[in-house]
Amino acid sequence: MRIERKSWNDPVFVATVAPLALVMVAFFLVPLLMTAVLTFQTTQYYRLVWTWDLKIWTEVFSKPHYWTIMMRTVAMALICVVLTVLIAFPAAYALATRLKTFKTQIQILIIFAFLTDAVLKTFGWILILDKNGVANWLLMHLGFPPEMLNLLFTPTGTMIGMVYNLVAYPMFTIYLSLVRIDRDLMLAAYDAGASRIRTFFEVTLPLSRPGLYSGAVLVFVLSLGAFLEPKVLGGGTSPLASELIRQSFETRVNWPLGAALTMVLITIGALMLAACAAFVLRRPSTGRRPA
Amino acid sequence: MASPIIDASGIVKDYGTARALHGVSLQIGTGEFVALVGPSGCGKTTLLKILAGFEEPTGGHLQIQGRDMRGVPAASRPTRMVFQKLALFPHKTVAENIGFPLKLQKVGKTEANGRIRAMLDLMHLKPDYLERYPAQLSGGEQQRVALARALVSQPGVLLLDEPMSALDAKLKKSLQAELKKLHRELGTSFVLVTHDLEEAMMLADRICVMRSGHVVQVGTPADIYYRPANMFVAGFIGETNFLPVTASAAGDGMAVVSPLVAVGKTTIASEHVSPSLSAKGTALLVRPETIRFVKGDAAPGEWVLDGHVEEYFIKGASTQYRVRVHGLDNAVILDLPGSIVLPAAVGEAVRIGFDPTQAFLLSE
Repeated sequence: MRIERKSWNDPVFVATVAPLALVMVAFFLVPLLMTAVLTFQTTQYYRLVWTWDLKIWTEVFSKPHYWTIMMRTVAMALICVVLTVLIAFPAAYALATRLKTFKTQIQILIIFAFLTDAVLKTFGWILILDKNGVANWLLMHLGFPPEMLNLLFTPTGTMIGMVYNLVAYPMFTIYLSLVRIDRDLMLAAYDAGASRIRTFFEVTLPLSRPGLYSGAVLVFVLSLGAFLEPKVLGGGTSPLASELIRQSFETRVNWPLGAALTMVLITIGALMLAACAAFVLRRPSTGRRPA
Repeated sequence: MASPIIDASGIVKDYGTARALHGVSLQIGTGEFVALVGPSGCGKTTLLKILAGFEEPTGGHLQIQGRDMRGVPAASRPTRMVFQKLALFPHKTVAENIGFPLKLQKVGKTEANGRIRAMLDLMHLKPDYLERYPAQLSGGEQQRVALARALVSQPGVLLLDEPMSALDAKLKKSLQAELKKLHRELGTSFVLVTHDLEEAMMLADRICVMRSGHVVQVGTPADIYYRPANMFVAGFIGETNFLPVTASAAGDGMAVVSPLVAVGKTTIASEHVSPSLSAKGTALLVRPETIRFVKGDAAPGEWVLDGHVEEYFIKGASTQYRVRVHGLDNAVILDLPGSIVLPAAVGEAVRIGFDPTQAFLLSE
């Protein structure tokens, strides 16, 4: 891929870039700036008071409670990334290389499950995870003690929901990376004397990195903002950042606090992504051969 | 052949119900350069993959260096492959690509580096290429890196799967010359798959011509060109002429009659007769370069045909004429030495002649 240098004096370039730039500025940068400005305001009797004050930030940095929730959110997001990738990679690998006969059917099923509304799916998990739900019923009939699992309204329940709702993203990105790998590269590795396992780690895995990384980033960003799963399956016992922010805005009607917590979450997410990007880009480009 | 490095006998390969190879037998000598040639779908690439160990034959026996290859994976065979699309690892540098087989063999770092550098020298690649990625090299340089990767572990047999088909004509010629030189210097057995019989004739010691899963003929380039087994082999090298004749045994050779020629009766010596001659579709192979325009009297014994010029092509060193002859389905092709003075114009009535005793008698 070549990046062309274009001049801002080129009217065609400006005309083609301007609409997207305007949309980004109007609906992304401006709201973000407004949120940042909001954090320096205060409230009195549930009303916004227009000032320039560091009161909210002092509160944010002095209450460990907020930071516990932030750290829990990041930890949950990271665990979710690891679990989804661990589930998605073998599935994508099987879909790309092994399953020939039912490939299309399986893909259609995955897409259906992916496109079904997340609220429906998440509530569906209640039926499975409930004490008297499908999971315990099945385990009981398999000879395990009754009501063995107690997952509903626990962080584990939240995690199951998050992994289930997000696993399709890395599955697709990894699948797309895997099908692009020339099969001859694997033959070349075998020919050079590599075992199947060695070939996987020397050729398949490094070349599926783009899909692996993009899938992981998608899952990370989306699970930082997970709202539905902690609410429905976690039962509010261990809230995540999005619930804390919702409470600040809606229950406590403290908009500056909600804005400040939003900025904290965005900053943590952006810093972690930047760190990951630096780590990934430290390796020289996996240059592609010209077609 | 004293001790063939590759001894394949009766190799059969089925894909489902389709049979790709019908009992192919081929011996390749140590240090020999053999080309597998044929149109697409003739089974030449399947045979190469069976030699490499990427495909398991359905039947038959394969020995390489005296060892039975049944169940031996590609990694443990003394063969190395250069792939059609080269299959260089895009995420590895040139040094890592060339050194990959050595890394797998756990060759020590200093020795590996020495051998990688030796390969680089052999392939005329600059040392500062070592840290580059394949995408940063030209097509010809990538070709050399692929060759270096295949040769670095000193294989007994180098398998080449049409590695030059994607290159432009000029680069192809220079790499062909280098491949031939490389083969002479290394003494490794080379097996080249190509659909280009001209390339095979230039490079190989022996050529194996294949069609629909059968070996049609194995022989030296001269055998293939001057003594082709049948019309398929003779036609594969490029455009040529077949004159339908009837033939019958006559003493040492064959008595040949062509109804198209006025005095179309001659005897062809046995060395000009295909050993696999059958009764079906007997014809004389008359190469385009052996036909001339007859102006004035015909030479004694020369067969002369009447026709008119359909088209001509100036190719530089030669000029090709296509002459339409009454009674023949295809135009007769003549390759005349190039000349600024054209011997005939389009549409002109001409007489063409050739010496039938120098033609080659074969069948379909």
